[in-house]
Amino acid sequence: MNETLHLTLKVWRQKDGHSKGHFETYKADNIDSHASFLEMLDVVNDRLAIQGIEPIAFDHDCREGICGACGAVINGRAHGPMSRTTLCQLHMRNFNNNDTIVIEPFRAKALPVVKDLVVDRSGFDRILSKGGFVSVRTGGTPDANATPIAKTKADLAMDAAQCIGCAACVAACPNAAAMLFVSAKVSHLALLPQGEVEKKERVTNMVAQMDQEGFGNCSNEYLCEAACPKGISITNIARMNRQYLASSVIPA
Amino acid sequence: MLKKYFSSSIGKKQTVAVTGFMLILFLIMHLAGNCFIYAGPETFNKYAATLESLGPVLKLIEWALTAVFAIHIAFTAMVVIENKKSRPVGYAASHYKERSLATRLMPYTGIILLVYICTHLFDFTFADTTTAISIFQNHQLGLYGLVVRSFMNPIKLVWYLIAMSAVGFHLSHAIQSLLQTFGVSHPAYTSFFRKLSLGLGVGIALGFSIIPLYVWFYIVPTLI
Repeated sequence: MNETLHLTLKVWRQKDGHSKGHFETYKADNIDSHASFLEMLDVVNDRLAIQGIEPIAFDHDCREGICGACGAVINGRAHGPMSRTTLCQLHMRNFNNNDTIVIEPFRAKALPVVKDLVVDRSGFDRILSKGGFVSVRTGGTPDANATPIAKTKADLAMDAAQCIGCAACVAACPNAAAMLFVSAKVSHLALLPQGEVEKKERVTNMVAQMDQEGFGNCSNEYLCEAACPKGISITNIARMNRQYLASSVIPA
Repeated sequence: MLKKYFSSSIGKKQTVAVTGFMLILFLIMHLAGNCFIYAGPETFNKYAATLESLGPVLKLIEWALTAVFAIHIAFTAMVVIENKKSRPVGYAASHYKERSLATRLMPYTGIILLVYICTHLFDFTFADTTTAISIFQNHQLGLYGLVVRSFMNPIKLVWYLIAMSAVGFHLSHAIQSLLQTFGVSHPAYTSFFRKLSLGLGVGIALGFSIIPLYVWFYIVPTLI
């Protein structure tokens, strides 16, 4: 059954990276409860444009929960109140009529605001460029089971590979640490034989870049895991901690 | 290479974790030693004297312990300062509802413990155990008497209990945290580690806290 919601939005508005931002309050009346959060913002933006107000800038791409482009902090939670959900897959039926919704960008020194809710996640790209790949020659497409990989290992690698790099882990971390993201990337390659060869350089270089970007230090509070739309496990962080120690004791 | 490790985020955390682990071991030994108080003044003072008789070995242990404390505090301070800088603009909506009390209080319980340890050293470690303070019913009870006299002071008793609650909070987060930091984690055991952490933390804090209460409710009425 379709309902319509009447909401009050408190949205972070910031002209660009150099300007000081502030909250603006907008009314969002007659919102279809089956609209996604981003569709709700589209409707609000249409109305703002008619009034001659600059629409709210936000990142989005696939709107299917698989690309990692969207994301904002909704009422204090990265990607909103639903677990394992990206912002585009959050639906307005999860809110109540007359709710006030606070919408803020992901906050971290290493994720500077570009405009309104859009943040610069190029730090993640720079971390990936330090080891998020396999550079050994692995040949053409192998025959099935030519390289035996235990099912449990393959599953762990695939679980880690689900990371879409949305940065909700950083947003949710009290210290704005990027450990969950980096550990997912480190793990998904290191668990497979093709990626295992370079695991030592990978973890050393990716962690070094992570630190250089100005992400915080992990204090094992596991809020990243709770916020992750893909359910990336903190056991990946433990694996990265182990690998980092091992590659510091005996470097590659 | 060592410099690179110790200046990296994971290296710093593992340094905090390994020094924290040593401090937990020390605490458990300290608690075991304290339990001699239940055996009465002679045994307790004899235990203290045995420790004293170690001489240079004891001095070495004390200096090593001081160094471990200093490293633990220095690296933690670095990590906390960096973490504060990593989010210059905070969230308007409350973001930390899921944070446990122990994790939120971590730096503060740490500071309470640092202050407590200073007062503790002056109260017991550096104190003269041969003064009139230690005399009960015309008997010089040495360190045992000093401990009893200290806990007769309600301010010292309450301060001790506050500090021990801080120990409980600090350790209940710390034990599972140090396991995770060294990469000991498995979906099947993680919930056990968290329970172990809470249990050990609260257990150690209770173990220490029972002693002044035992003094207050049991020893003092028999000595006065």
